[in-house]
Amino acid sequence: MRMLWLALRSLRREWHLPELRTLAASLVLAVVALGVVATLAARIERGMLAGAAELIGGDIGVSSPQALPDNYADAARHRGLQIAHSASFPSVAFAGDQTQLLDVLAAGPRYPLRGTLQLGDAAGRSHIGQAPAPGQVYLDHRALVALNLKVGQPLQLGGRELTIAAELQRQPDGGQLLALAPRALMNLADARQAGLLDPGSRARHRLLLAGEPSAVDAWRQQVQASALPQGAQLITPEQTQERMRTSFDRAGAFLRLTALLSALLAGIAIALSAQRYARRKTAEVALLRALGTPRRQVMGLLLGTLGALAIPATALGAALALGLSQLAWLFASTLFGSAPTSLPLAPSFAAAAMGLAVLAGFALPPLARLAEVPPVAVFRQSATRKTRRFDALYLIPVLVALGLIWAQSQSLTLAGILAASLLGVAVVAALLAALMLWLARRVAPGAHPGLRLGLAALARRRTLSLIQATALSLGMCALLLLAIVAPALLQGWRQELPPDTPNWFAMNLQDDQREGFAQALEKIGGEKLNMMPLAVGKLTTINGQPIDQVHFEDERADDRADRQLRLSWADALPPSNQVIAGQWPGPHPAQAEVSVDTTWRDMFALKLGDTLRFDIGEGSIDAKITSIRKVDWSSFRVNFFLMLDPAHAGNLPHTWLASFYLPPGHADGLAQLSRDYGNLSLIDVDSLLDRVREIVDRVGNAVRWILGFSLLAGALVLAAALAASAAERQHEAALLRTLGARRAQLRVAAACEFALLGLIAGLTAALGAAGAGWWLGRAVFHIEHFMPPLVPLTLAAIAAALVVMALGLVGTRKVSRTPPMRLLREG
Amino acid sequence: MSDSSHPLVVACDVSKSVVGPEGALDILRGVNLQILPGESFAIVGASGSGKTTLLGLLAGLDTSSSGSIHLDGHALESLDEEARADLRRRLVGFVFQSFHLLPALTAEENVMLPLELEGASDARSRARQALDAVGLTSRRRHYPAQLSGGEQQRVAIARAFVHGPRVLFADEPTGNLDQRTGHHICDLLFALNRDHHTTLVLVTHDAELAARCDRRIELEEGRVVAAGAHS
Ligand SMILES: Nc1ncnc2c1ncn2[C@@H]1O[C@H](COP(=O)(O)OP(=O)(O)OP(=O)(O)O)[C@@H](O)[C@H]1O
Ligand SMILES: [Mg+2]
Repeated sequence: MRMLWLALRSLRREWHLPELRTLAASLVLAVVALGVVATLAARIERGMLAGAAELIGGDIGVSSPQALPDNYADAARHRGLQIAHSASFPSVAFAGDQTQLLDVLAAGPRYPLRGTLQLGDAAGRSHIGQAPAPGQVYLDHRALVALNLKVGQPLQLGGRELTIAAELQRQPDGGQLLALAPRALMNLADARQAGLLDPGSRARHRLLLAGEPSAVDAWRQQVQASALPQGAQLITPEQTQERMRTSFDRAGAFLRLTALLSALLAGIAIALSAQRYARRKTAEVALLRALGTPRRQVMGLLLGTLGALAIPATALGAALALGLSQLAWLFASTLFGSAPTSLPLAPSFAAAAMGLAVLAGFALPPLARLAEVPPVAVFRQSATRKTRRFDALYLIPVLVALGLIWAQSQSLTLAGILAASLLGVAVVAALLAALMLWLARRVAPGAHPGLRLGLAALARRRTLSLIQATALSLGMCALLLLAIVAPALLQGWRQELPPDTPNWFAMNLQDDQREGFAQALEKIGGEKLNMMPLAVGKLTTINGQPIDQVHFEDERADDRADRQLRLSWADALPPSNQVIAGQWPGPHPAQAEVSVDTTWRDMFALKLGDTLRFDIGEGSIDAKITSIRKVDWSSFRVNFFLMLDPAHAGNLPHTWLASFYLPPGHADGLAQLSRDYGNLSLIDVDSLLDRVREIVDRVGNAVRWILGFSLLAGALVLAAALAASAAERQHEAALLRTLGARRAQLRVAAACEFALLGLIAGLTAALGAAGAGWWLGRAVFHIEHFMPPLVPLTLAAIAAALVVMALGLVGTRKVSRTPPMRLLREG
Repeated sequence: MSDSSHPLVVACDVSKSVVGPEGALDILRGVNLQILPGESFAIVGASGSGKTTLLGLLAGLDTSSSGSIHLDGHALESLDEEARADLRRRLVGFVFQSFHLLPALTAEENVMLPLELEGASDARSRARQALDAVGLTSRRRHYPAQLSGGEQQRVAIARAFVHGPRVLFADEPTGNLDQRTGHHICDLLFALNRDHHTTLVLVTHDAELAARCDRRIELEEGRVVAAGAHS
C-alpha cells in the first residue's frame, strides 16, 4: 500500500518527463490499434453467425445451375417442410437511356422462409413485405439511383416491362457478403416466362426449406444419401458462415497486420522511452541503493510507477478503441449489410491485455537493468554503463513480438511467415536507410554547413536514426501502398486494355439466334463482335480414374472438380493465349483433343498426353491433352481454361457467348435488343469494373484511417527518439552556442537533420511501395510495363521530409534556446 | 582594434544578481578589470565566490546586470545573444574543466567544429595541424571515450585554438586531472600564449597555475579583494 502511494507520488513528480508521456501515448496507441481492429472483426463475425439462417432465407437449401428435379421439393413437402423457389442471375435493366447491370433474384410466392424482406414505399416508409407479384419488381437504392428511377415507375428487365413496386431495403440473400452490382427482386414466374431461366442461362436455381429441425435434418440426410444433380450444392448455414468468413478473413488479415505493425512500432517507442527513463533514473537509483534501499523495493517502486501509468493508459486505449470501432461500424456496416449487432467488449479488453504485454516486453528490460545499478555508481557513473555483448533480457521483446504475431494470425505457420516478412521488410528498410545515410555522408563535405551539421547529428546517433527511419518508413510504406500504388495498379490494369476491348458480353445466345443477333447488333453500332461456343460440363475422370478418388496436392482442385466447367473451342488459338507446350489441335485430329491452361495444369497436376473425360449434357467426351496454354487473364477477352478441338466438340450441346464493343451512348439500342432476345444475359463490363473499383475505394477508405495508426506509431517512435536524445541535444546545442554558433545555424542544422531523416524514411517507403507495386503489377495483375507512379511517390517522400522536419523542429524548439552558460555550470 | 596597447577585455563596475527562490542574490558586485592582449590572467577565489560567473560574463556567454564589458572594443551589453555568438566565434576559444567533447565525434571532428561553424573549407587540414600541435597526431580517429582525461583536454585545447582566437577562456582546465597531467596541460596553454600571443584568461584553484600567470585577481563573495602582477 505504501509502495503504491510512493509510486503514485513519483509518477506525479515525473509526469512532465517527455519519455513518460511518449511511453503512455505509445501504450494508448497500441491498445487502440489492436482494439479497434479486433472489435470490428469480432463484430462482423458475430453478425455473420447471428444471421446465417436469416441470410440464407431458410433453414437449408439446394442451389443448382439447372432447375431442380421435382422430387427434392416433393420430399420436403412430404416431411411437412415449407418450400420456396428462387433463382438469381445478372441482367441489364433499361430505363429511358440508362442501363444498369443488376444482380437479380427471382423469387416465388413464399420467399423468404426465414428472415425478413424489408421494403420501402414511395414515401420512404419501411415495411415488411413479400416477394413481388407478377409484373412488379423491387430495386435497391443503388439501382434506383443508377437508373434515375423512383418507386412507381416502369423499367425494362429481361425484355419485359415491370413496375417498381418498392425499394428493396434488406433481403435474405444466400450469404453474399458483397453484392457486386445493385440488386433487384422480381417475380419468379415473370423470369421464367421471359426465358431468363432457360437451360444454359447463367441463372442459379435455389430451393429453400424451413420447418421443424428434425424434419430438416431428415431431409438433409435423404438428399445427401444420393448424389446431387450435376453442379448442385447444398446451402447450409455453416457453409454460408464459412464462405463469408473466408472473404472477410482476407480483408481482416490485412487490417490485423496493420494493427500489429502499429503495436510493434509503439513497442519500439516504448522501448526507447523506457531506456531514456532508465538512464535518467540511474543516479537516483544508485543513491537509493547507497542509502540502503533493498533492490526489491527499488524494483517495486519502478514497477509501481510504470503500473500507475499503464493502467489508466490501457483503460483510455480500450475506451478509445470502443468509441472508434463504434464509429467505424457506422460507416462500414453498409458494406457488410448484415443484421444489427451489439458492440462486443471482450476484444478491447484483450487489446488492453496485449498492450500491457507490449509494455512489459519492451519496457522491462531497461528497467530491470536499472534495479541492478550498484550503490557504488554514486561515485562513478561509468560503473553502470557496463556493456554486455548479449543480454538475455532483450529476448523478451522478441518473444512478446512473436507472441503478438501469433495471437493476431492464430496460426503458427502464418505467424512464422509474418514474423519473417516483417523482419525482412524491417531489415530491408534499415539497410536502405543506412545506405542513404552513407550516401548523404559521401556528398556532405561540399554541402551547406547547416546540412553538414545536420548530417553529422544523424550520423552521431546512428542507431537511433536508423530505428527512427525504419519505423517511419514502415508506417509510411503501408499507407503509400494503399493510397498511391493500389489505385495506380487498377488504373494501369484498365489502361493496358486497347480502347476497343469488348465492353459487353452477351451470354446464352442460341444457335439459331446468332445471325439475327449479329445483324441487330451491327445496326445499333456494336463492333468487334466475337462469338465463342460454350458448353457446360463436369470433369469426371483423369486417365480413366474418377476424380473423386484422386487426391490432389492443390486445395483448389477439389473445389474445382465439383463445379461446373465451361468449355469452348475454336479453329485458331485465341489472342492473348500462348501455347507453351505441345501443339494447338490441327483441323482433323484423330481423337478428341483438349488444351488446358497453366492454372489447370498446376491444380490437377496434368501433363501432355493425359486423357480427361467430361460429362456434357447427356453425353460425355474423352479428350487427350495435346497443348498447354498460358492465358493473359487480365486481357478482358473471353478466355477459357479448357479448349476442345472444334472437329470433335462441334456437336456437343452448347450456347454462344458473344463479346462486342459498344461505343458509349448506344445503350438505347441495346434495350431493344434485349427485348427481342429475352433469353440473353447482357453484362456490362465497364460497370462491373466500376463496381470493383468502387468496392476497392470503399474498403480502402475504411482501411486507410486504420493505417493512420501505423503512421502515428511511426511518429511516436520519432517522439520517443527525440525524448531519448533531448539531453544530448541540449548539451550539443550549448556547446555549439558557446563556440559561436548562431541560433539560425542550429535551427537550419536541426531542420536539415529531420528533413534528411524524413526524406530517407520517405524514400525508403516510396521505394518499398514502388517495389511492391511493381511486383504486384507483374505477378498479380499481369501488366506488362507497370510503372509505379513515381511522381506521386516522390512527392510523398518530399512531403514526409517536410512533415518529419516540422515535427522535429517542434520537438526540438527549446533546444536551440539552450543558454550557453549551461556548459560552464555542467559537469 | 587589435592594437596591442589597447586592453582586449575591459570590465567596468560589473555586477550580476539573480532572483532566486529566496529573493535577489548578488553574485558579482562592482568588478573592474583590464586584460591586455597577449597577457595571461588568472581569476582565483574560494568556491562560490563568483569566478565562473565572471568568466561567463567576460566571454559573452551571459549578460551582466549592470556595468559594462568590452571585448576587443565591442560593448557586450549592447549586443544581443546572436551578435555575441558571432563575436565568440571570431575571437574566443574555450577550455572547460570537464572537457565537453561531443562523444559521437572523433577527436578530429571535434576540433573541426569551430571551423565548420565558420564555414571554412580547409577545416580538416587545419584540425589536423592543431592536433599535431598538441601531440595527438596518432589519435585523430579516436572517440573521446577512447582517450584519457588528459588527452581529452588536449583535444579540447586543440579545438579552442584551431580557429586562431584572440583570447582563450579556461574554467579550471586542470580541475579533473592529476597533478602531472595538469602540469602538462598548463604547459600547453602557456606555450600557446607565448607562441601565438593568445590572451589567456583562466579560473583556477591551483596556486601554482595562478602563479605562472602574468597577473591575477582574487574574488571573495563577488568582489575583487586582491589584484597582483608578477614580474
Ligand atoms: N543562475 C543562478 N541562480 C542562482 N544562483 C546562482 C546562479 N549562478 C550562480 N549562482 C550562485 O552564484 C555563486 C557564484 O557561483 P560561481 O559558479 O560563479 O562560483 P565559482 O566561484 O565558480 O565556484 P566554484 O569554484 O565552486 O566553481 C554561487 O553561490 C552560486 O550558487
Ligand atoms: Mg566555478
